[in-house]
Amino acid sequence: MGLFKIYFHILANIFFNLILIYLKIQKGTINMAIVKRKEILRWILDNIAWFILLAMLIIFSFTVRGFAQWPIYRNILYHSVFIGILAIAEAICILSKEMDLSVESVLALSAVVTAYLAGIGPDASGLHLNAPITLIIVLLMGAGIGLFNSYFIVKMKISSFIVTLAGYLIFRAVGLVITKGHGVVNISKDIVAIARTNIGPVPLMIIILIFMYVIFSLFLSRTQFGRYIYFVGDNREASYNAGIKVDRVLVIVFIISGILSALAGWLLAARTNGSSPSLGQGILFEAMAAVVIGGVSLQGGIGRLSGVFAGAIILSCISTVVSIVGINPYYMNIIRGGMIIVAVILDAIIRKIRPRLI
Amino acid sequence: MVNDSFKNKENRPILTVKNISKRFGNVQALKNVSMEVCKGDIVGLLGDNGAGKSTLIKIISGNFSADEGEIFLEGKKVHFNSPSEARAAGIETVYQNSPVCINAAVYENFFIGREIVNNYLGIKFVKNKEMQKSTLDALQNIGISIPSEKAEIGLLSGGERQAIILGRFFHWGGKVALLDEPFAALGVAESRKALKLIHNVSQKGLPIILVTHNIEYAFQVMNKYVVLRHGEVVGVGEKKDVSVDDVVSMITGAIEIKD
Repeated sequence: MGLFKIYFHILANIFFNLILIYLKIQKGTINMAIVKRKEILRWILDNIAWFILLAMLIIFSFTVRGFAQWPIYRNILYHSVFIGILAIAEAICILSKEMDLSVESVLALSAVVTAYLAGIGPDASGLHLNAPITLIIVLLMGAGIGLFNSYFIVKMKISSFIVTLAGYLIFRAVGLVITKGHGVVNISKDIVAIARTNIGPVPLMIIILIFMYVIFSLFLSRTQFGRYIYFVGDNREASYNAGIKVDRVLVIVFIISGILSALAGWLLAARTNGSSPSLGQGILFEAMAAVVIGGVSLQGGIGRLSGVFAGAIILSCISTVVSIVGINPYYMNIIRGGMIIVAVILDAIIRKIRPRLI
Repeated sequence: MVNDSFKNKENRPILTVKNISKRFGNVQALKNVSMEVCKGDIVGLLGDNGAGKSTLIKIISGNFSADEGEIFLEGKKVHFNSPSEARAAGIETVYQNSPVCINAAVYENFFIGREIVNNYLGIKFVKNKEMQKSTLDALQNIGISIPSEKAEIGLLSGGERQAIILGRFFHWGGKVALLDEPFAALGVAESRKALKLIHNVSQKGLPIILVTHNIEYAFQVMNKYVVLRHGEVVGVGEKKDVSVDDVVSMITGAIEIKD
């Protein structure tokens, strides 16, 4: 019960403060004391996805029997590893005002290639390669696919939606061709070990996920190149005028996206100890949903990766609850779709409030 | 450069436009247009719609190339094939919808492409605090006040945005600023601020060509005028020698003065 109390206090406090600040701004009694509060409110709005997640955890803790325990949380986080890493890839593309629909197929292809190179059985290559070598191969493949996509997008000026839609169809199919549509089971032990290692009570996969978010958050918010991704997504002309090499930024964005998708595929192969033809089907839309729920706007140049992380956890939280409670899984997409609509409405409201907070 | 040289008579011109002509099909947009801009000048480029003002500034800023004539920047002959070449040489047009990254902070827009960075192992990390401070200093130096240098520039007013762009251009060593209808969408109070800013910036040594319909505002800041009509210069001189009525007559074609 201790956990509930802490949750409740945090949420009640935030809620109370929000109302207080909102009322004061409405009345126009803004003074120096309020300036600090405006900063707090702005911070809350910027991190709204985390507060939604917190609220969900509290509600589920009260309403779903057996929810409030570490194994469930661990499961939620574990489940969000693949959505989460794909969501980083998608978020970076969307921040630069492009789109990458091929992330899911690159993930699938990467899992298939990993299983093919490292697996045993008639459908594998028989090479039985180990973890580092397969990782390097699939990451290079991901980078190559990113370069391939960006060639059409940047050089031939075809919309990224179209180019990556083609990629979405092609890359998964290439995977099917490699294994003739069969699954591969049992791959090198050192790859599988990645998915089964725990550091203390925390699975290595979760640590990898958090590490990726920390690194890429730093990259996007603190490095010059990360800022250029935002500027290019925000206004190409202003970026070009400032001497930013817009084309180069976009090429690197797609290469990063390909590498991250390939990494997620490699981890998924480790997790499932092989690959199957339908591996990760539909994960593109979950990654996309995580990005939107996390507050990254399709306008480009708006949003932060921390929100996307919350978005990924929110989605896997919902799937976990659906499977605990035993709701018919057909409802799953109705809930996910509903979340997206809620996120979009919230975003519109925030956009209205924000100008008053400078 | 630091000394107050705006009243210096023996100024050599920063920008010289000589005998520029431009034709669009059958339309003679500009015919033998010449003008000079010196340090500390605010030149009002005036004229009716279709008189050729826009064409002239687009030639100066590299959007169009002239059919005939020459442009000299600090005594050297220049030819710009694109606005980015002109910008690199130190000539920039500031207008109502000058592109900015509306979701980026004021200081980020101020330093865009010129970020202050720390290099760790080949990775360039931006130094936000330093950029914020320099932005604030640079803007205060020319009398621009904004709610916060950390605010997204898209949340500021049109006048504030133009002011920041002009301030940025000045800060990074711009040589000639072309202001294209800066008052078009501004209210009275904002226009007044803009006029003060134009005055401040030119006093600090940045020559300005001010293109506007608003003769009243132009008269408040300019020290020289050039009037265009049907693509030709119909009046040029110092503001102190003419009245608003004289200039209006030149624009409408009632009188012609050339020196």
